[in-house]
Parts: sequence; C-alpha cells; structure tokens
Amino acid sequence: MRYPAVAIGAAGLVAWPWAAPPYFVFLASLVVVNAIVAIGLNLLSGYTNQLSFGHAGFLAVGAYTAAIVATRWPGVPVVVALLTAALGAALVGLLLGVPCLRLEGLYLAMATLAFGFVVVEAIVNLEWLTRGNDGLRVPTARLGPWALATDTARYYLAVLVGAAMVWAALNLVRTRTGRALLAIRESEIAAQASGVHLAKYKTLAFVISALYTGVAGGLFAFVVGFLSPDAFDVFLSVDFVAMIIVGGLGSVPGSVAGAAVLTVLNDSLAGFQNYRPLLFGALLIASMLFMPGGIASAVRRLKGG
Amino acid sequence: MTTAALVHVVVSGLATGSIYALMAISLVIIFNATRTLNFAQGEMLMVSTFVGFTVYARAKVPLVVVMLVAVVAAALLGWVIERVLIRHAIASTPFDVLIITLGLSLVLRSAAGLTWTHDEFPFPSFFGDRPITLGPVRLVPVSLGIIGASLGLMWGLWALFTHTRLGRAMRAVAQNQRAARLMGISVERVYSASWVLASVVGALAGVLIAPVIFLSSKMGLVAINGFIAAVLGGFGSMPGAVVGGMLLGVIENLAPLYLPSSIKHSVPFLVLIAILLIRPGGVLGRPARRKV
Repeated sequence: MRYPAVAIGAAGLVAWPWAAPPYFVFLASLVVVNAIVAIGLNLLSGYTNQLSFGHAGFLAVGAYTAAIVATRWPGVPVVVALLTAALGAALVGLLLGVPCLRLEGLYLAMATLAFGFVVVEAIVNLEWLTRGNDGLRVPTARLGPWALATDTARYYLAVLVGAAMVWAALNLVRTRTGRALLAIRESEIAAQASGVHLAKYKTLAFVISALYTGVAGGLFAFVVGFLSPDAFDVFLSVDFVAMIIVGGLGSVPGSVAGAAVLTVLNDSLAGFQNYRPLLFGALLIASMLFMPGGIASAVRRLKGG
Repeated sequence: MTTAALVHVVVSGLATGSIYALMAISLVIIFNATRTLNFAQGEMLMVSTFVGFTVYARAKVPLVVVMLVAVVAAALLGWVIERVLIRHAIASTPFDVLIITLGLSLVLRSAAGLTWTHDEFPFPSFFGDRPITLGPVRLVPVSLGIIGASLGLMWGLWALFTHTRLGRAMRAVAQNQRAARLMGISVERVYSASWVLASVVGALAGVLIAPVIFLSSKMGLVAINGFIAAVLGGFGSMPGAVVGGMLLGVIENLAPLYLPSSIKHSVPFLVLIAILLIRPGGVLGRPARRKV
C-alpha cells in the first residue's frame, strides 16, 4: 500500500525541476530546508514536549558554520560542509540542552527565546568571522568535480539530504529512543519510573533537534547564497513553531506538510508583508481552536472516516 | 564616574524598571489565573495606548481623559480576548493557550500596523521637561513621575489583593483552583477579572512609558523584559515581580558603563539565562517542588 505512494512522491520530486519554472525550484528547496527544521523541532517539541523558540539560532549556527567552512577551504565537498554545520549546531545544542534540563514549560520557551536573540547579537558583533551586518556571501557548493551552480542542482542536493533526514526521523521515532521520547512527553514521572533516563534522553532530543536544524542551516546557506543576521530573527523561530503546530505535533509527515504550507504561504504573501503576521497569527489561533493536532491528525481523522 | 552621574543612571534604571515591574505584574496576574504566559501582553498594551492616542490626536482632550480612554479600551480588549479565545481553550493544556496568545500577538501587532502604520509617534507626557536639581544631581521629571505613578499603582494593586473580595478570590484561585471553586468562588469570573485587570495595568504602563520610548506598533516588545523581570523575581510572586523589574531596569542601565557597549542589547537575555541557570526560582522564590 505505502510503496506506490512513496514511489509516486519520489517521481514527482525528481520531475519537479522540469515541470516548474526556476523560481519554484528555488522555492521547493526552501520548503525542504524548512521541513528539515520542522522535523528537528518536532522531535524536541512534539515528541519530548520541550517547546523551543530559539531554532532560528540553531539554523544560524548551521548556516554560518557551513558558509565559513566553504569560504576558508575552497573546494571542500558540500557533504563535509553540511556535516560540519550539523556537528557545530549539535555541539551548541548540547551546550544549551544540558543547562536547560532544569527548566520546563514556559521557562524553557523563554530560555530558548533568549538563546535566539543572543545568537543574532553574536553574529552582528563577531565581525571578523561573520562580517556582521554587512552579510556573508556563500561560495558555490562543490561536490567533487561538479559545482552546484544552478537552482536545479541545489534543489536535488536539498531533496537528497531532506529524504535522508525524513527517513532517519521516521526510523528514529520507532526505535527505543523514539519511544523513550514519547514516554517523556506523556509523563516525565511515569517515564522515569519505567526506567527512562530523563536527563540523557532530554539532552539527546536537544542534540538531535539542533543537528537537524544545523543541516537545514547548511543547506539554507548554499540555497540562498547570502547570509545576514536579520534573516534569523525571533520571528523565524515563531514561524518554525507555527509550522509544527499547523502540521501536527508529534508527526514527521505533519512537519513536512506544515513546512510546505507555511513556506508557500509566506512566499505568496511576499507582496503583502503587512498582512503576513495577521494571517499567520490567525492561522495559529485557528489551528489551536479548530484543528488541534494539525494537518496530520485531520488527515488521520479523514482516513478513519 | 561621579556619584551624581551614577545616581542619574540608577534613577533612570528604576524608571524603566517600574515599567518592567508593571508588565511583570500583568503577566503574573494572568499566569496565576489561567496558568499560562500571555505572549500578547505587550501588544495589548500597545493597542490600548494607540486607542488613547487616537482620541488625543482627534480631540485634543486632556491627558487624564486619554488615560481613561486607554484604560477602558484595555478592559474591553482583555475581557473580549478572555471570553472569545482563552475560555474555549482553557480545558486543554497551557501549551495550547500559549500558542493562542502567540498567534494573538502577531495578529494585534499586524492589525495595529495596518490601522496606525508602523511609524513612531511622539506621545505627550504628564510630566514636564525641566530637570530637577538636587545639589549636584540632576533628575528628569519623567523618570521620577514614572517611578511615583508606578509605586502608586502597585500600592493600589496590593490593596486590591489584600482588602477586597475579588482580590482574595483571585489569590485563592492562584493557590488552588479546585479548592477555590468548592469555597463558592466563581473561577470563570476570576479568569475574566484577571484578564481585564492585567490588561488595564498594561495600559497604564503603556501611557507612562510611551513618552519615553515613543508610541509604535513595536513597543509591545517591552513585555519580553517584563517576563524576564518576573522570572528574575520568582515567577508567580507579585513582590518578586516588583523587585525583579527594578533590578532588571538598574542592571540594564548600569551594564553598558562597565561592559563593552556592543553587548548592550543582549543584557536582559544574558540576565535571563544567568538567573535560569543559577536560581530558576528567582531571587525571592523558593525552588519549585513538583507534585506527582
């Protein structure tokens, strides 16, 4: 049952650059980038019930790491740059996750919000490394002898990486680790009583979430080609939260759907910047009041009849 | 650095600190009733101040009337939000209500921008511009006025919480909702009253601070510092909110004198991270105990 659907989806993704105009190829790459962030955030918020308003900070760490690696060592394979971005963000996630173990609920949300602000301020001030407010131009991604200089090439890179991340997430949530994270969401105390090592798994959730977002950041750097600190403000973090709320907390396909809906919506509202937050806010409120569980649970209900 | 200059910095720190304290109090009032953080607090402040300003710009009424209009608008806004949005979601997790207030803050800021543009407007002040000289120390009347008015308002709130039926009902609901209900308190009325009261306190803070930071659709961001102040003092505690607010205001004003100016904007967030790491219960709070 599932394989034909996956095959059709894969064929659609491969065929997209031939069917769509170049701009929509670029847009599709952004959808993939945001979907990876949404999955990472959902592993933390949806699965482990730790709300983060600082994922734009992790995205910035990943993006700047990849960009700086690619600038310092020209010709470095894009895979290495992405891996460095992932590791850099994961390290920051570890550094933030361990002290955040003491926090829950609102406190955690606020600590991560503060983290996001501090990252942006750090980027502005570390001019020797990040060029501050002037922005950083990202060199073309290289894979061995090829330069990924076109939107189509970068799109395929994003799709390949994205597919791997989705596959990994789908498998992760079915393992012992995934079940431990779900147990923590339902009740920390019950989970602990059943032998789930709370500190270990909550930190792990933070690190994995940061790692996902770091990879997305690296892709973002190469797809967009130019980084500046104001692209990573707190409203981006809010957008990520909106993606998983609209898509569905605790669902990998839901994360992808939410990222797709909000990214496309965001883009189609580009000419109406003043109305964008109005619509996003209304969408958040409406999903909470009328569609708790997001797109994922709405689809599940439709299937169930 | 002379003592006179230091006094000046501390007094202006206490002035911004008073506003943070008022914001912290509004957040705590709502938290105590509905167990959630109101992300839209700053935007509610901004909208009520704008309504007052519109009346002022149209009719040139005295400032007291402007303040009254802002207060009435705030009360109405708080009541409507609680009845229409929050009451429906209150049965679900606090997480849901948090997201709703987050959405609300986006909607209000955007709607205010569409109605009144995103420009900054100069707002009239109750207090004159002529500095008051005490020996070598020169103080700005605005700072002293803000501190005085805030202290008066805090005293009023203290009286409300200790000496009125409504205040006692609100404290009972904060302690234990089920027990409060069994004692015959209408918890729903306390929800409404809390949102109205928090919104009104916010509007007064807005009218006080608008002459200093200008009136704009972005002024709601002051609520973030209000939250940091509440955490600094121990979230949920009213005296903690006041102490935390004053402390944050003074730290924020003093820090640039001793630290590189480039980290000025990060100071409140660094304070937040530090307090959460060292003493998550706040300076006045006790470590939270979890009941199974």
